[in-house]
Amino acid sequence: MLLSVIVFLPLAGAILSALVPKDRGDIARMIALVVTAVDLALVLLVVLRFDVAGGMQFAEKVAWVPQYGISYNLGVDGISITMLFLSALLSLIAVVASWKMETKPTAYFAMLMLLEVGMNGVFVALDFVLFYVFWELVLVPMYFLIGTWGGPRREYASIKFFLYTLFGSVFMLVGIIALYLQSGTFDIMAMSGLGLPATFQWWVFAAFFLGFAVKVPVFPLHTWLPDAHVEAPTAASVLLAGIMLKMGTYGFIRIALPILPNAANQWAPFIAALAAISIVYGAALAFAQTDLKKLVAYSSVSHMGFVMLGIASGTAEGLNGAIAVMFSHGIVTGMLFLIVGMVYERTHTRMIPDISGLSTQVPVAGGLLAFASFASLGLPGLSGFVGEFLTLLGAWKSDVPAAWVVVAAVGVLLAAAYTLWMVQRVILGTPSATVVDIKDLSAREVAVLVPLVVLTLVVGLYWNSILRFTDPVVTDIVSLLAGA
Amino acid sequence: MSYVIAIPLLPAIAFAVLGPLSNRARNKAVWVSVAAVASALVLSLIAFVQVWPGGHEGEAAYHASVTFASIGSVYLGVGVLLDSVSAVMLVVVTLVATAVMVYSLGYMHRDARIGWYYAVLSLFTAAMLMLVVSDNFLQLYMAWEVMGLCSYLLIGFWHEQVAPRKASLKAFLTTRVGDVGFAIGLAVMYATAGSFDFAVVLHDFQWAPATATAVALLLLFGAMGKSAQVPLHVWLPDAMAGPTPASALIHAATMVAAGVFLVARALPIFEASGIALTITMVIGVVTALLGGLLAAVQHDIKKVLAYSTISQLGYMFVALGAGGLVAGFYHLVTHAFFKSLLFLGAGVIIHAAHTQDMREMGGLAKKMPVTTVTFTIGSLALAGIFPFSGFWSKDEILTVLWHGEHYIVFALALAAAFVTAVYVARLWFRVFTGPEQTSELKEAHIEMLVPMGVLAAISAVIGFGSPYFAQFLGHEGQWPDAAIALTSTAVAGLGLALGWWVYGRRTRVINTRPLKQRFAVVYDALSLKLYFDLTYDYFIVKQFSRLAGALATFDRVVVDGIVNGAGAVWRAGAEVGSLLDIHVIDGAVNGTATIVKAAGARVRRLQVGRIQAYQGLMVGALVLLMLWFVVKGA
Repeated sequence: MLLSVIVFLPLAGAILSALVPKDRGDIARMIALVVTAVDLALVLLVVLRFDVAGGMQFAEKVAWVPQYGISYNLGVDGISITMLFLSALLSLIAVVASWKMETKPTAYFAMLMLLEVGMNGVFVALDFVLFYVFWELVLVPMYFLIGTWGGPRREYASIKFFLYTLFGSVFMLVGIIALYLQSGTFDIMAMSGLGLPATFQWWVFAAFFLGFAVKVPVFPLHTWLPDAHVEAPTAASVLLAGIMLKMGTYGFIRIALPILPNAANQWAPFIAALAAISIVYGAALAFAQTDLKKLVAYSSVSHMGFVMLGIASGTAEGLNGAIAVMFSHGIVTGMLFLIVGMVYERTHTRMIPDISGLSTQVPVAGGLLAFASFASLGLPGLSGFVGEFLTLLGAWKSDVPAAWVVVAAVGVLLAAAYTLWMVQRVILGTPSATVVDIKDLSAREVAVLVPLVVLTLVVGLYWNSILRFTDPVVTDIVSLLAGA
Repeated sequence: MSYVIAIPLLPAIAFAVLGPLSNRARNKAVWVSVAAVASALVLSLIAFVQVWPGGHEGEAAYHASVTFASIGSVYLGVGVLLDSVSAVMLVVVTLVATAVMVYSLGYMHRDARIGWYYAVLSLFTAAMLMLVVSDNFLQLYMAWEVMGLCSYLLIGFWHEQVAPRKASLKAFLTTRVGDVGFAIGLAVMYATAGSFDFAVVLHDFQWAPATATAVALLLLFGAMGKSAQVPLHVWLPDAMAGPTPASALIHAATMVAAGVFLVARALPIFEASGIALTITMVIGVVTALLGGLLAAVQHDIKKVLAYSTISQLGYMFVALGAGGLVAGFYHLVTHAFFKSLLFLGAGVIIHAAHTQDMREMGGLAKKMPVTTVTFTIGSLALAGIFPFSGFWSKDEILTVLWHGEHYIVFALALAAAFVTAVYVARLWFRVFTGPEQTSELKEAHIEMLVPMGVLAAISAVIGFGSPYFAQFLGHEGQWPDAAIALTSTAVAGLGLALGWWVYGRRTRVINTRPLKQRFAVVYDALSLKLYFDLTYDYFIVKQFSRLAGALATFDRVVVDGIVNGAGAVWRAGAEVGSLLDIHVIDGAVNGTATIVKAAGARVRRLQVGRIQAYQGLMVGALVLLMLWFVVKGA
């Protein structure tokens, strides 16, 4: 029951919030706060009671459409619980960060909670139909969040986002159906390691690849991301980068690798190549940006490249690393978007040339932005390093061509370049005209960031804080891949 | 001996205490850092005494480790390893750090952010100590990177000015170029030996020459970045934009020596390779010579010392490349003391003279006796004059080269020693003799002079410990070879004499113009820093910026152009389809259309007019799914 409550509690919150009179944003946000906080508490309860060696847990399975083998099937293992925690945490943070939202607040908070339903659902669904429903459900509130509360080009960005990801998920649907026809079930776990025919695997993998790769996004399917990120309101950017991108890589790890291990091995060199290109391409483009949000958006392309490289490696190091990058990128990019948003609220600009001297005028904001920047560029001791380094180890150990690993390693250097160049212009120096009068972060804003700072340190200093959850599951996947 | 764990932890705690405080509170709490580092010094001395008399290479007096990451069957640990090498390093690092922190109480006392300065200095010390006691290469690498962060923060400490800001970025990125090599080296090491632990990688594992070469050279590349070896040396002179005492600790005594420490630790891999040793030696000697030559044309006193550091680090690499672990490591130790002393002295000089340009200095000897005496000791140690410490360690390096029959490298190293003596004399006579340029010269505060005195005393006498040092590390200790000692002393003496000839005879105004004219080509090349910066700036920085800009255009026009193009085609198709729709199935969906319209009107208020089409697409997908069930069911 616990997982069902975690998934659908925000739905109740969303409905409730939608029923509140339109001018009572204060009630809506209080509902959202309570709902997301309780949800996070429940997720923490699951985490506490979780047995790392216990495989799929908290399972719920009820027949749904029995004649087609569709069931309402939920469960968490070490990988999904990591993502579920991230989803619940960032949802709460998104609500607190949006506390001052004044445009259609009731609808806004309803959308945020509806979004959480989809995100939580994707990470606990163990039935393909259910998974697909949650997967698509996420698009709707995000579409409205960007399209209604977004920036000047919100209409273009929201439609592009919606269509592009829908385009991908249609292929995924084809893959799901093909798998059903082949195996006669929609049960994700039952399908892993079935030993499906190699050619069949290859084609189904292709379908899943398109569905997931758009979401990640992998070069060259990434152009929806900068537009969506830049136009989205802060909280939506946080959830978009923090959770929704991970749905794609989660799909690879949860579905594509265990169910289609032969194809995964065959596709690995291609994925590794795209991953390495994504890393340096995203980094180079981040370097060229003058809009802070766009810089962070392109850096996401680069970081998600590391996740894909880890997936392509098919090694324990690489897959653990991939999940660590997913988690770290969620919290670190969350911080970056939040602080950029906070700065924007004060300076009314995101253009790097117009902002300087944050650390002098607003030391808390500047310091936290610097902290997030160093976490993002992969400084050891902070969370970003864990996954990137493990990914490199795994990729080198695997059959991935060494050249791609070297390219990825150069990407780490480029990350330092674009990040620190931003730091130098925005945080350091003397305060610019836009910065000279602004106030530092409020207690609420600091409270939003502190949990993320703490997590960045905990994961960065004690890798097992995350690996103890992921490693047992990863070990199973690796043996499936090795046996294929 | 578990107290050894506290040595790196104490400064780390100091950072954790100071870091989150407000600026004002931090400024008042700098004593926390000083106390932490001083306590670490005491513990380090105790550890050193307990390890004494050492003599067992590779044997740990204390070793503890905890796992922080487990992947499959591999456990990655963080450990504390106390052996002869780390015992020496602990003392060197905590001693210099304590000296610098006490000195900074005077040097930085007027700075508005002195608390932050001490916080970063503490973090740096913690990282350096963590590196020193590492029992594996991963931990070493992590500490290494954290030091890079601290170096970045301290170089850019006065970030309101342009030069420190640029220098900090340059330092971080240049060293990170090396770190890319280091990281890949770790990946190769892990893939080959399955571990990062010294015990496995350096002792148990049998390296094949080819992989050993790969790993050794990749680690060397990392070391070259950190230790500012040619061609990755360009960041260190610029790093002098930071506070001078920070330069003394980080950019002279400890962090830049970490590359040497890395190579020293990894020496068994280098030895398994063979060729990697030779490459290390060549890079070292080139750096020693070029660094010395570049030091000789600088006018900024700190830049002279910076290039001197580059050159002396090169010396250490030469020694390690020749297989002389003891000699290289010993030079690391003596250099740490005399070079940090010189930097601290330079700080006093800069404060007194209100300039860093040596041409605007002079006559300091009369008014600043303590500074003069201590700085002179440091200078003589650097020049390699008996009995000061640099003489002994440099001599050991030359001995290793001679006995290893590396005669060309030996000759080049001697040449570097000559150049060293020349620039030392140039600096010394410029600064301390001749007419006074300002009337306000006065000696520094006591908290600055005492650390300098301590370092000077060490630099004056530590050389006599030379044979015992070797024994401590488990090697045979020897007193210097008389012939080599005489040769090197003669060379250094000649260099000092030449320096005096040009800069010391104050009977006339110093005129170097004829010299510069005669060697115009050389001088111009040297004053343009041998074109390294220009080359990097043009071929790497500029070209990368251009490439990034071009890629951004490519992304917008081509990659996104395809997406938008596809969208346009789709829309055109949809319009054709909708015409069909209206005329063919109009009636059938009339009812539905009314609902859609009503919904559409509401949605349009949200300015998202076209959503229905896409929702329709999603519904279509679901319908497709349903169709399959029907087919399957039938």
